[in-house]
Amino acid sequence: MDGDLIHKILDYASSRSKFAEARYMDLVVNQVGFRNGEFQGLNFGSEHGYAVRVVNRSISMAYSDSNDWNRVKESIDRAIEKSNFEGKNRIYEGNPIKDTWKVKASKKLEDYSIEDRVAIVRENDAAMESSGAAVRVNSMVDKQINQLYVNSTGSEIRGEISRLFYFYLVGVVESGEFEQSTEQFGSSSGFEYIEKLDLRDRIEQDINELHQSAAAPRINPGKFDIIVGPEISGIVAHESCGHPTEYDRIIGREGAQAGESFLTGKEFPLRIGSPVVNVVDDPTMDGSFGFYKYDDEGIPSRKRYLYKKGETNEFILNRESAAQLGIESNAGGRSSSWNLEPLARMSTTYIEPGDYKFDDLFDGVRRGVYIKSFTEWNIDDIRFNEKYVGKEAYLITDGDISGRVRRPTIETNTIKFYSSVDAIGNDLQFSAGMCGKGDPEQGVDVWMGGPHMRLREVYLQ
Amino acid sequence: MTLFDLDKAMNKLKSRGFDEYATELSSSRIEQVRFSRNSKDLYNIWDNSTLVIFASRGKRTVTTSVKDPGRLDSSIELLWELAGKIPENPSFVGINPEPQESYRVEKLAGIDYDLQDLSQEIVNSSLEAGAERAAGLLYNRANTVEVRTKYNQCTYTTGGLEVVIRSFKGNDTGQEGRHFGLKEKVDAGKISEIGCQSAEPLSLPTVRVELNPGKYDVLMSPYVIGNLMSYSSSFLSYYSVETGLSCFSESMNKKVSSSTFTLVDDPIDSMGVGYRACDDEATSTGLNVLIENGILRNYMHSFSTSVHAGTRTTGNAGILTPGAWQLKILPGAESAAKMISELDEGILINNCWYTRYQDYRNAIFSTVPRDGAFYVKNGEIQGSVTGIRISDSIPNVLSGITGISRETKNVKWWEEIAASNMPYILSEKIGITKSF
Repeated sequence: MDGDLIHKILDYASSRSKFAEARYMDLVVNQVGFRNGEFQGLNFGSEHGYAVRVVNRSISMAYSDSNDWNRVKESIDRAIEKSNFEGKNRIYEGNPIKDTWKVKASKKLEDYSIEDRVAIVRENDAAMESSGAAVRVNSMVDKQINQLYVNSTGSEIRGEISRLFYFYLVGVVESGEFEQSTEQFGSSSGFEYIEKLDLRDRIEQDINELHQSAAAPRINPGKFDIIVGPEISGIVAHESCGHPTEYDRIIGREGAQAGESFLTGKEFPLRIGSPVVNVVDDPTMDGSFGFYKYDDEGIPSRKRYLYKKGETNEFILNRESAAQLGIESNAGGRSSSWNLEPLARMSTTYIEPGDYKFDDLFDGVRRGVYIKSFTEWNIDDIRFNEKYVGKEAYLITDGDISGRVRRPTIETNTIKFYSSVDAIGNDLQFSAGMCGKGDPEQGVDVWMGGPHMRLREVYLQ
Repeated sequence: MTLFDLDKAMNKLKSRGFDEYATELSSSRIEQVRFSRNSKDLYNIWDNSTLVIFASRGKRTVTTSVKDPGRLDSSIELLWELAGKIPENPSFVGINPEPQESYRVEKLAGIDYDLQDLSQEIVNSSLEAGAERAAGLLYNRANTVEVRTKYNQCTYTTGGLEVVIRSFKGNDTGQEGRHFGLKEKVDAGKISEIGCQSAEPLSLPTVRVELNPGKYDVLMSPYVIGNLMSYSSSFLSYYSVETGLSCFSESMNKKVSSSTFTLVDDPIDSMGVGYRACDDEATSTGLNVLIENGILRNYMHSFSTSVHAGTRTTGNAGILTPGAWQLKILPGAESAAKMISELDEGILINNCWYTRYQDYRNAIFSTVPRDGAFYVKNGEIQGSVTGIRISDSIPNVLSGITGISRETKNVKWWEEIAASNMPYILSEKIGITKSF
């Protein structure tokens, strides 16, 4: 790893600031894809550079990809000059830490050949074709990140992270009706993750379900008891718990972009829903897509309960928002590249599993819908008014599945959703995603998850 | 300033034996001020240079980005090695070999703006117009791009000023997101005025109106239609047509919208930050009429997709995936105010976000209004509506257009709206759903 200038940068910035930090990131990325049986070429690249933060009367950051000290210094000088103008300038400094860490990978990215990468994607494209898909898009990205973080309190942390991401989009036509599915998989590990995924089986199963869903009838709108699958529990945990508890949103830092939070201006703890609901964000899960031992601001990671027994409990904090709250950062500061500021971000956000076996959730459901997975979704900018459109879904009559339905839609709000939960399954599962935030927009790697859950009296359209 | 020697890069690509190759060197200096709750959060400065190399051995295509000039030779060697190990890319026909007679290169340079002062002025403007607090950002960008291919080369500078401000009052919000290219320096007063404009929705009737889901006439602001066009522009890329994910497949020279609607891609307008003189394979850019008076006249093409379609490239490469540079909906004759006054019953929506598709092929989507949605009856705004969505399809929105304003705005906002120029659009019988 290069980054030879980092100590010179820190010394220079520290001597001119109340607090300074420097981060060097080297990012190597490979991407291969197939579209409808055609290889789409190989993309690979190396990105590296310095991010320097200085705090004086306000906060400034300089980003440079140069190894020429004079050029880097010019940007830092500009940042220091601007930091002497008025603005917000509180930042959590914490204690100095010196450490080195790396992601565990038994099949290292660098040991996997390009032919091996192509073979994986080609096989999945072939599986789609043989299952009768009309549209096939497959893409696999792997990246190796080497990072060195230093700050003026004396911290020096080196991290090595390898991550894999697989995306596919598949579409089928059945009786003239088009139905699509997109799925994402990711992990902080080596290629052993992809090998264990059984992607071919998952894809074939997905396409089979799409054929049947395309031909299924719509439901008549009304109130139903519903059982949602882990994929939906996960997206709900992410969108209507993780995002609104990012403290920078609560205090308006993202107001003109991703928005504020329905928690803005509220007193805490605030009841969000049923006491059976606990939502966790945990960056310490080995192998998870959002795994890290230290965040990108050099803070040691830990598990955080965001909603506990149906009430707000803890917020996601980076150094800046922790200082605004007047407490320690809990290691939510993440940046997806060398040239982007660390923001308060999620890692692996999930609804904690309960005691119910899957079959037991159906007990007592006289008229219901089981929505196993979703397709379209969105949520308003305060993370309150949300929509999830079912992909694979079934009617439930007197506790039994009684037929498939097409695209049932939950359009509700956060309080109503969590308040309707009365039983939580014991079958925790995760899916991967790229979470967007910030300006310039930066996508960070996350998992989201949960078990099956039962909700009472939810209006479906 | 960059240390890359492009002559050396091109010579190396040639001598190594690549059949086709293109390089794009982008050197940028960007400043940004972010603010919220009326005060500055952060000043950012970027100094970046990236060289992107596309090369092919026959139909085997590889792309890489290089940051370090010292790694140029080894990167090209690695490209050569990897290109020998991958399958052919049947979609790739070649890089546009036609000599480009001229490029519409404007003599542009970076413009100095004092973002610190401007940010405070724009916040003050918002507060004076009635906001309780404001959040937003300003960007000042200057980006010099040098594209070289085996056949052509072009250098141009683009960038400009971007202003985003959101005004808050209680639970109500208003937002503006504007862009100004490098053609001329924008007067500070004009920039400051954007703060005031962002607060205008805060003075509209705030009494809540409960609406039933159903079909409504919807007057979409430049931000709403800008968002929908940004999220659906890929349907007009021939790449999406070939993939099977476009609602405009098999629609050439057919009616795809109301006859009042004309959509163009205009990358040669340097009044906007979407200006660019050439595409990624050094094809000269120009005005591309996509939909003319309701008729689909063209897709967006690179050289490769144009050969597949039996037509000429439109200068929209992405060598493999063509896309839009700077969309414009041509203005109509009426004022937005008159469009509201003549609306018997409908909804005025100021902004939207989080547009997502459940069906790309038929462009069935929903999007979430923000920064003000208002119920209009007998030409007057009655009150605001919350908790709703536009839930419909792009073909239906386009075919339902009955009015286009004469006013347009250069709109750009975050990842939600790409640089574009958009009017107000009135579209009838649009699906509105709501939360229960």
